[in-house]
Amino acid sequence: MSGSNTIDRRDFLRVLGISGAAATLAGCGNTAIESGVEKVQSYVQPEDFVVPGVGVYYASTCAQCGSGCGVMGRVREGRILKLEGNTHSVISGGKICALGQAAVQVHYNPDRLTTPLMREGGELKPTTWDKAMATLTARLGGESTLKGAQIAFLTGEVSGHQKALIGNFLDSFNSTHHVVYDALSTATGQAASKAVLGAAQPLLQIDKATLILSFGNDFLGAGVSPVHMAAQYARFRKAPRGTLIQIEPRMTLTGANADRWYALKPGTEGVFALGLAHALLEHGQFAKTVPAPIVAALKEYDKETVSGITGVHADAIPHVAGMLMEHTPSLVLSGPSAEGQVNGAQNAAAILLLNVILGNAGKTLQGQASHPFPQLIASAGSYAALTQLNNSMASGQCQALLIAGSNPIFSAPGFLPFAKSMEKVPFKVALVTQVDETAAQCDLVLPLHSPLEAFGSHVSSYQPRGVEIGIQQPLMEGLYPDTRAFGDIVLDLLRQREPKNYKAFPDYYAYLKLAITKARPVFKSKLSDDDFWEDALRSGVLQLDAAPTALKTNASVVVVSKPEKHVIDVRYPFYFVPSVRADLRDGRHANLPWLQESPDSLTTIVWDSWVEIHPSTAAEMQIREGDILEVQSASGSVRAKAYLFPGLQPDTVSMPLGQGHTAYGRYANGMGVNPFKILNPLFDAQTGELATHATRVVIKKTGEHELMVKDEGATNLQQGRKLVATVAADQAELAKETSHVVE
Amino acid sequence: MKFYINATLAFAMLLCTAVVLAEPFVSGGAIGSQTDDGYNALGPVVVQPIEFPHNTHAGTMGINCMYCHTYARRSAVSGIPRLDKCMGCHNLIESVKDKPRIKQLFAYWEKKEAIPWLKVHDLPDFVRFNHERHIQRFYFKDGRPVREVCGYCHGDVASMTTARRVKALSMGWCISCHQKDHQESATNLKTSNGPNDCWQCHK
Repeated sequence: MSGSNTIDRRDFLRVLGISGAAATLAGCGNTAIESGVEKVQSYVQPEDFVVPGVGVYYASTCAQCGSGCGVMGRVREGRILKLEGNTHSVISGGKICALGQAAVQVHYNPDRLTTPLMREGGELKPTTWDKAMATLTARLGGESTLKGAQIAFLTGEVSGHQKALIGNFLDSFNSTHHVVYDALSTATGQAASKAVLGAAQPLLQIDKATLILSFGNDFLGAGVSPVHMAAQYARFRKAPRGTLIQIEPRMTLTGANADRWYALKPGTEGVFALGLAHALLEHGQFAKTVPAPIVAALKEYDKETVSGITGVHADAIPHVAGMLMEHTPSLVLSGPSAEGQVNGAQNAAAILLLNVILGNAGKTLQGQASHPFPQLIASAGSYAALTQLNNSMASGQCQALLIAGSNPIFSAPGFLPFAKSMEKVPFKVALVTQVDETAAQCDLVLPLHSPLEAFGSHVSSYQPRGVEIGIQQPLMEGLYPDTRAFGDIVLDLLRQREPKNYKAFPDYYAYLKLAITKARPVFKSKLSDDDFWEDALRSGVLQLDAAPTALKTNASVVVVSKPEKHVIDVRYPFYFVPSVRADLRDGRHANLPWLQESPDSLTTIVWDSWVEIHPSTAAEMQIREGDILEVQSASGSVRAKAYLFPGLQPDTVSMPLGQGHTAYGRYANGMGVNPFKILNPLFDAQTGELATHATRVVIKKTGEHELMVKDEGATNLQQGRKLVATVAADQAELAKETSHVVE
Repeated sequence: MKFYINATLAFAMLLCTAVVLAEPFVSGGAIGSQTDDGYNALGPVVVQPIEFPHNTHAGTMGINCMYCHTYARRSAVSGIPRLDKCMGCHNLIESVKDKPRIKQLFAYWEKKEAIPWLKVHDLPDFVRFNHERHIQRFYFKDGRPVREVCGYCHGDVASMTTARRVKALSMGWCISCHQKDHQESATNLKTSNGPNDCWQCHK
């Protein structure tokens, strides 16, 4: 009899012996906490404004994604309790998203790494900072002979002075191998945007548009700077209410907010866009906007052909084109589902061409203001950078690898043998707040301060108005004695490598303070250096008014090839669309229980992965919700529960990214599966970036069934009653909405 | 021998242990004995790092409780007086500087170390008691004497050295007061009672 609910008599008495007095009081029906047991922390000489029980707000910058939202942290009795938006920040506008709210769980996570780990006898074992730094110094300190490509620094999206410091550190090895990897890279879209609009990341002036046509751009969910976009979107929806049309294979959060939502076959977004271009160019007013050869080539994109390829009803083209003509200025956006294809750049270019035809450049699209510190702007991550690193490691060229803020062993596609290549690197160091799959493969793992404990600066690659540098300051003292700030560790190494330049900085705080105060003249401040620094900490942002720049559009780069139907491989009949959850993103936030517990915005499922399948397809295949399906591609397979989801193109199945961790703490491990691992080695023809949305799969029923854990009540959306009347997009009486029907 | 914990048995054992473990108390009755408002809930005597004489400060000297407990009127929690508050006066009071308790105080101050006081009055985390609301109402608005107002919950601390819990601080005890008709002020005979909604304290 050794069940967990039994207790040995001796244990029982021992327990009582310890807490006898407490138990006695509880037994007397007294709800007050026992006196004289806990200590009460008092202050010795606090600031006058400190009142126990009353929160004080300090400005900082959110580090949960690359948007760089200014935040205010509520601190009470020396502990950070909650983050809010900082009204000084142009990016956040005083608002904050769910990711930002969950930042305190990065900080208070029970799985935080609290001591350095070193590999001994094949296993990572706790060690001291002295030993860890001795190892680090021996390999990468002043005496290191590593040069150039022998050393690489792999990070996620990093910006500000941390980025500058990484650059300086690599410089000291004559290396330029700062590898930025982002599993959800938008490099393809940026390349197309640079070619067609003249700017990789133009400013989207959503609030100035009267109609937005978005091809899978989830700007309200997992897009660029979603907090800023949501605020703009709110203004866009105020009277006179703007209209949002979304075209995508799988409904995103933005799609769910659209007035009109069209499902199309993945990868055919460009064809649909060119169909619209063709319909618009039939009208004389647009004729001069694009070169004649393009106009001629577009002749083949008549509505029947486009409908045949995209799977969208033929009438949709003239109706959408009519709405685009009626609503000026409009804004046409391309998104990951259009760009993550083998013809991704071509798709994006075709979509952005519509902006050129409609004359949106200069109205709803503008260039970002020129930045006085371009070296601090976050560099865009790409898949190409990771493959280069992989090759360098596999060939034995890379001798030392530092990793911070990136987890490619989890988020790289399964066909890339990153883990195997990494084994060939003799010295691998990870700097993390919590061990993840990649850190678990390293030789040395250093515990970092959480972003709520460290100094830093952030310069987002998307600057909505003027220039904003976000200052990150500690909102409380370190929770653990043995964690250190990222900047301090890199600076420590730099001090050894270049004592002449860096010995003046005792810590990263001193470095950052000097760097910021040196920038004072740029901000035309009349304050003293110290006051300028204090002011930056107080407001949390450094801002510069700067006008947006003009865009130089170029329609002639758009390639109009002959419209062709997709050939379906009978072995893999389904399109596979990995969806990005606004909370878990590429999986980096799967360790935060608030985000795991918050229901997915469209399916309400929690703590799991699932396979979305169209109800009609499911009916054909006799699949019920909760049936375990095997989703198999040429590169691998995963198993998850079926979820019947009408927001899909019927030949498409979709799975959310972010789950399926194996070494990322108690809240992430064993939850769901990782669809990154079944992506096929398909790449965008122009940029070489991974075509994340181009994989084809086959669905197999396993015969197993499990209950789906979700907040949504009944599986049929309307509980068997017609609670909200809806009409399919292609059956609506469109003539009532638009007077211009282009035929 | 192993057995499942039985609620009745556990309770019986708790009572037995209480008898065995009960220490002799300095004054005011045994732990769990009747408080001055009729509840069987008297708190234990707590031995503090410094035996702070409330009786000297609030009793003999007649110092207002809120001179030291400044946070009580500003915040939900009263906190503990800051150390430099003690030093503000005691730096200037030469006559007691060589007393053992004051020497202890100076030792903490020189080390710039907070005195590790033990909690005497504490409520579970699911109860939100607000000091500020009570003080603003009874002391500032109604103009009642501070010893009476603080004493509703803390007893007559001015007659103790270190504080001891002499009130039940249980829900029934809170409610018993909130159900009373309180005269609005010394001059206003209109009465009202405290809020009795669950969410006032449990939010």
